[in-house]
Amino acid sequence: MADLFHKKIRAALDDPALQAALDLNARRSREACWRAYTSLPEPWEVMRQRAHQMRAQVIADLDRYLEQFTGCLQANGVLLHWAQGAGDASQIVLNIAARKGAMLVAKSKSMVSEEIDLNQALQSRGIQVVETDLGEYIVQLRGERPSHIIAPAVHLLRHQVGQTFHQRLGTPETGDVPTLTATARQVLRQVFLNADIGISGVNFGVADTGTLCIVTNEGNGRMVTTLPKTHIALMGIERLVPTLDDLALMLYLLPRSATGQKITVYTSLVHGPRGPLDADGPEERHLILVDNGRRAMRSSPLAEALSCIRCGACLNACPVFQEIGGHAYVSHRGEGSPYPGPIGSIVSPGIFGQADFGHLARASSLCGACREACPVDIDLPALLLRVRAGLVPGTTQSPPTRQIPPNPPKPLLLGVMIYTWFASSPGRYSGALKFVGWLARYFPPWLRLPGFTGWGKSKDFPRPAEKPFRARWQERVSTKSSSNLKGRSDSASHSSTNHPQPLIPSRENSVTKPVTIERSSLITWFQNELTDLGGEFYLCAPEDLAERLIAFFRGRGIARLTAWSEGFFPPGLIQRLITAGIEIQHQPDPAIQAGLTGAIAGVAETGSLLIPSGQGRALSHSLLPEIHVVVLQARDIQARLPEVLKNPELIESRSSVLVSGPSRTADIEMTLTIGVHGPGELHVFCLDETPNTAG
Amino acid sequence: MNQAVQLMITCILDVLYPETGEAALQVLGKLGLQVEFPSEQTCCGQPAFNAGMRSQARRMAEHTVRVFEKSPAPVVIPSGSCAAMLRHGYRELFREDHTWSLRVEELAKRTYEFTEYLVDVLGVSDVRASFYGKIAYHASCHLLRELSVDHQPKDLLASIQGAELAELAGAQECCGFGGLFSLEHPEISAAMLQRKILNIQDSGADLVISCDAGCITHINGGMHRQGQPERAVHIAHILASDGKKP
Repeated sequence: MADLFHKKIRAALDDPALQAALDLNARRSREACWRAYTSLPEPWEVMRQRAHQMRAQVIADLDRYLEQFTGCLQANGVLLHWAQGAGDASQIVLNIAARKGAMLVAKSKSMVSEEIDLNQALQSRGIQVVETDLGEYIVQLRGERPSHIIAPAVHLLRHQVGQTFHQRLGTPETGDVPTLTATARQVLRQVFLNADIGISGVNFGVADTGTLCIVTNEGNGRMVTTLPKTHIALMGIERLVPTLDDLALMLYLLPRSATGQKITVYTSLVHGPRGPLDADGPEERHLILVDNGRRAMRSSPLAEALSCIRCGACLNACPVFQEIGGHAYVSHRGEGSPYPGPIGSIVSPGIFGQADFGHLARASSLCGACREACPVDIDLPALLLRVRAGLVPGTTQSPPTRQIPPNPPKPLLLGVMIYTWFASSPGRYSGALKFVGWLARYFPPWLRLPGFTGWGKSKDFPRPAEKPFRARWQERVSTKSSSNLKGRSDSASHSSTNHPQPLIPSRENSVTKPVTIERSSLITWFQNELTDLGGEFYLCAPEDLAERLIAFFRGRGIARLTAWSEGFFPPGLIQRLITAGIEIQHQPDPAIQAGLTGAIAGVAETGSLLIPSGQGRALSHSLLPEIHVVVLQARDIQARLPEVLKNPELIESRSSVLVSGPSRTADIEMTLTIGVHGPGELHVFCLDETPNTAG
Repeated sequence: MNQAVQLMITCILDVLYPETGEAALQVLGKLGLQVEFPSEQTCCGQPAFNAGMRSQARRMAEHTVRVFEKSPAPVVIPSGSCAAMLRHGYRELFREDHTWSLRVEELAKRTYEFTEYLVDVLGVSDVRASFYGKIAYHASCHLLRELSVDHQPKDLLASIQGAELAELAGAQECCGFGGLFSLEHPEISAAMLQRKILNIQDSGADLVISCDAGCITHINGGMHRQGQPERAVHIAHILASDGKKP
């Protein structure tokens, strides 16, 4: 039944380029993750257990959280849509597009959009849709599906990407990753600027604030949520966290598990459409909440899989994925699933049906590497076993839990049934062992089993013992009266030691407890993290700022800036820059090379800057230019992420972003490349009024 | 120490490697334990459980629970995978059956993998074994990730007189056995095994020690097919060894 699946597996194993790409991914991603976990404020196991409980609570109480969440969104002016099935979700997008007369759609990464085949729906209406995540763009040019949740082009080597660009874009053939990235930047920049609609996914929705959190490294998530006049966010109904503290917990875990980063470069925190006085942002913001089988899954034995945060760590950890890659995970009709790997082998049968995708769960050695890597500790092996046992949701319409018969291949089914008949009776079992032992004397020490058994293809099988253990035991008991060998006895003393209970951490989020650290240490911490990310840091006294900035801009030959309004900078600063001959423009302009903004907070542990939008504060100033210059007050640097997410301006602003270093990608062969869609340079001028004293 | 333990031999050791069972007996005997062998035992039911055939798995599991609950003595299993089945798999298998769940929990809390029992319960991490050669440790998946047993076998190996411990790259990676997985997906299984074999060769170890006969059968089966000396050995052998190659 799963012949096409086997065909894909064989093709993957026989493809040396794919094998090289997959090995590279496995090695680099696993190393990076474990390194990143060491920088967590608490032990990884404690944090992931807390995340597990939090997500389980959301799934258990989903309706209440959805109500709270959607209430906030509506109050914030987000246009809300509910989609029951895949077709419904696409139709909602098509309706919006028709109303807007949209011709061009810029799309940031969204797994839900893959799930509902949105691109096809848009293209069938003559609407051009362009994927803007570099990896997604590459696979779109090749007419493929992403092969990995996080790294869509992980199955390709650099020269293959070069060939694709050469064929589709007419650029000279090259395997140079920075050149390929620059090409994509150029092409996609025009798409961002001209798109009628921006479509994104949502990484997390925060129930008690209505925050939509979207993380990207390249900046495409920021582009599509900021530049086009209409933004449509697609979100599975299960992707909620209760509070901003819980969001902070997820932001500790998601980037580390996904890419081994402490934080993603851009964490967009979106609340509503552009306000009447806002400098930029979309005029309309839509959120489509997609069910597509999730409620059915929630009331099935696969409910725990809804805790998934789509980080892709289980794919990177999985030895089977490492051998076959994402494209091999196909339905028995040969259709790919947007969700490959261990989690996909649960979610695909869970959403798209056991009949089509149930066989995927059998392609696992149940080694547990997936669960070990999961940042929310989903018991993936147990769920894979439930899929194998047919404990899956029914179709979206019919009763939620319907036992579908298990589907092992017939010979296996028969074999296990015969084995069970023997093994459920000691008499039959002992008899069978005796027979096998008798037979074994006619065998060589190693047997070459026929190929159809599976085993015989690549390994030999050891000859069974002529005398099984139970027979040897009988002999011992009858010949020896050894004191330490006895048959059944109940006179024995025994230990009733219980196994240590697994660590159950409290729900209390201890990382949110205020930490008192001297300002100078915070500055140094911030500086180290920022420079690690490739940002530049300059500590300066407030009275020197203008001089330093003028020198910086002159040194770089920059004569024009886009900038926040004057009032957000130290008094007189903008005037001094203008006097020095620097032209300052407050309207966003993609032609201008440098942008000057402030930041309302800094996060020491990640080197991040919190940048809100609003009147006189265009988000574009920190997004469109190649060089982004930030003025940060040292007193605004806080130690940890949860403190910064409590900033009241963040919740009031229609859209904010945490910026952590220059824009980057590693979508081609996991090679780090700086400057994709967002600025390639980030310079932070940090003002310390009272140097060498604690704040 | 005059404690009694029940030995669950597992189907693989019973049929393929009875001498491994005898080695385990020898180690347990040396420590003064009274070993019981309930002879009605058969198989824990994991093959059917992993195949998704739960009613078949239940028949074997119920039988196993009945056999081992007759005595209150701890159950010691020289296999991480079968011990994990009794401790975790049964919980899943009977999760909607309250009566059986209680029986399963009671048995689970006195069920131990062999090295776990030696180190955690008996507090013994040196069994006065000796072996003169280079050994490497392959961490079996269920032992490591379901039972979290890792330092126990390593402690025992570290105290073997004369043994030089070799580093095995990817020691925690699956060998590709996975029970019926190796039959259903032989190509993937073979590719995973090949990684393991190459790492074993690179380690330069004379022996690769594992606590699971499934991995041993798989690794040695692959090495034999490739004309290489089979180097995977169950930990019971080396713990029972007195200097000679087990």
